[in-house]
Amino acid sequence: MNERQDAVVVVGLRKVFERRARRGLLRRAQGEVKTLSAVDGIDFLVKRGEIFGLLGPNGAGKTTTIKMLCTLLSPTSGTARVAGHDVVREAAKVRSSLGTVLTGERSVYWKLTGRENLRYYAALYRIPRRKARERIAELLERLELAGRADELVEKYSSGMKQRLALARALLPSPPILLLDEPTVGLDPQAARNLRQTIFDLKAGGKTVLLTTHYMAEADELCDRIAIIDQGRIIALDSPAALKEGLGAKEVVRLEIQGEPNGLGDALRALALVESVAVRPSVNGAGTCELQVITSNSRRSIGPIIESVRAAGHEVVHFQVVQPTLEDVFIRLTGKSLRD
Amino acid sequence: MGILKRVRDGLGIMLAVAVKELIQFRRYPSWVIAVFIWPLLFPIMSVFSARALAGPEGQALHAFAALSGTTDYTGYIIVGLVMWMWLNMTLWTLGSFMRSEQMRGTLEATWLCPVSRLGVLLGATCSQLLISMVNLTVSLIAFRYIWGFRIVGNLGLTALLFILSAAAVYGLGIAFASLVMWVKEANAMVFLVRGLFMVFCGMTYPLAVLPGWMRIVSRGLPLTYSIDGIRTVALAGAGLADVMGHIAALAAFAVVTLVAGFVAFRWTERRVLRTGALGHH
Repeated sequence: MNERQDAVVVVGLRKVFERRARRGLLRRAQGEVKTLSAVDGIDFLVKRGEIFGLLGPNGAGKTTTIKMLCTLLSPTSGTARVAGHDVVREAAKVRSSLGTVLTGERSVYWKLTGRENLRYYAALYRIPRRKARERIAELLERLELAGRADELVEKYSSGMKQRLALARALLPSPPILLLDEPTVGLDPQAARNLRQTIFDLKAGGKTVLLTTHYMAEADELCDRIAIIDQGRIIALDSPAALKEGLGAKEVVRLEIQGEPNGLGDALRALALVESVAVRPSVNGAGTCELQVITSNSRRSIGPIIESVRAAGHEVVHFQVVQPTLEDVFIRLTGKSLRD
Repeated sequence: MGILKRVRDGLGIMLAVAVKELIQFRRYPSWVIAVFIWPLLFPIMSVFSARALAGPEGQALHAFAALSGTTDYTGYIIVGLVMWMWLNMTLWTLGSFMRSEQMRGTLEATWLCPVSRLGVLLGATCSQLLISMVNLTVSLIAFRYIWGFRIVGNLGLTALLFILSAAAVYGLGIAFASLVMWVKEANAMVFLVRGLFMVFCGMTYPLAVLPGWMRIVSRGLPLTYSIDGIRTVALAGAGLADVMGHIAALAAFAVVTLVAGFVAFRWTERRVLRTGALGHH
């Protein structure tokens, strides 16, 4: 990768999966081919040395994109270059330039020790034995695994397994890292530690492309974010610029009692209301949460509460907050990231 | 990259995979049963069945010899069982190698490395070969002391027939591993294939007892020639000229199954990259 080259360049990338319907045990139904456009013509580039995030709900096309970039999936059309190499025609060179962590803790052997895992992968990356020994010791130390490097991985915590998977990806000192949902399944402390590690990698000159559906994580980690939904990139900018894009908008969060059947539409019909998202509250008290993006909370809060009461609901709690990336997503798609 | 460097890299990868597989093998102590105890138990049922059928004074042995060319039914059964066990272990190991990597989630991580994916499978083949050799050695030593089994013919010729058989079986194993990666189920496929070989290859009985159509099918299976060739050399002391047909057939099977195995692997590789099925369970 030369000085001026972008780390990742994606142009018109598409992936369409075909599924043939079956009738009975073996017989295929003639002509019944269902297609699913998982990634639908996306364009983006990742600059050298930045942390770039693909943010979107489950099924948005994030993992499919990562898998095409790391050569585990062939694109239907479009091109992608990683470190200057085409992912289809120069797949081996792409794999040499990349460290990839997919689905974290399942990518290492549980019946091997941490050190044995890294020794095995070092051989697959053709790292000379002496250099591999030094590199493994360095990575185990850096990722705080040295003390338990000779224990079987099955005895590791989720966070340790995820760090070991990251150590595996870092073995060949790749200039670019692809991390697919790196903090999924980790406890808050382990997730925080991993985010710090990602910052350290950036400080060390690595380019990081990560996927996440955690807005706060994307906000904290990423220099730039592409918001992806239904296989398409619907916004791409820095987190601050994306939030500023909402202009002088404010977010009214309401917690109401009961199911808000039809209430969303009633609120959307109000003047000054831009969009509304509804989701069940996680407090287990049978309440629901409404997020209403409005251009003027002072003027709209009265009509909003009146509408809620008119629909027979009690307002349990409400607050006016500054927009987050989730509000950006709601504004762009009309739905919550958790939908 | 020069050819020598490619070969060295390929061997390095095969060695790394083989070592990893053997370490994992060692960490499941119950697998030792498959290597050391199962081969000892397996022939017992067939040998005692044969003894019962032969009659108390071995009255039926002449009838058996007329069909098989030998009265040594114990050796006859052992050769068939050893070859079948080899096939069985190969299919299990190679078939379940890709599948268990897929289930663990490590197959994708391995395929992310800039290495030949076929080299990774061949590495698993090497570790399987080593385990099978231990199994075979244990079996032959035990059979010698328990059943008095001895190879009376030319050892070199026996080894040649065995090596050719092994090549054919490994070709089959590679094709089988590809198939399992595609259908995502190893057990049913192993039961089906090994069952067919057990019935059609004359594992414990002469092919002459099979109906005509079954004998035609048996001629299309490499293990038929392996078992018959090794019995002819090892038990009856036949020479090269007597088994030239077997050698030619096994060499042809080895070429065909190895080519078919590599083609099936490449085809499956392309298919899973297109469909995204590599990480699917």
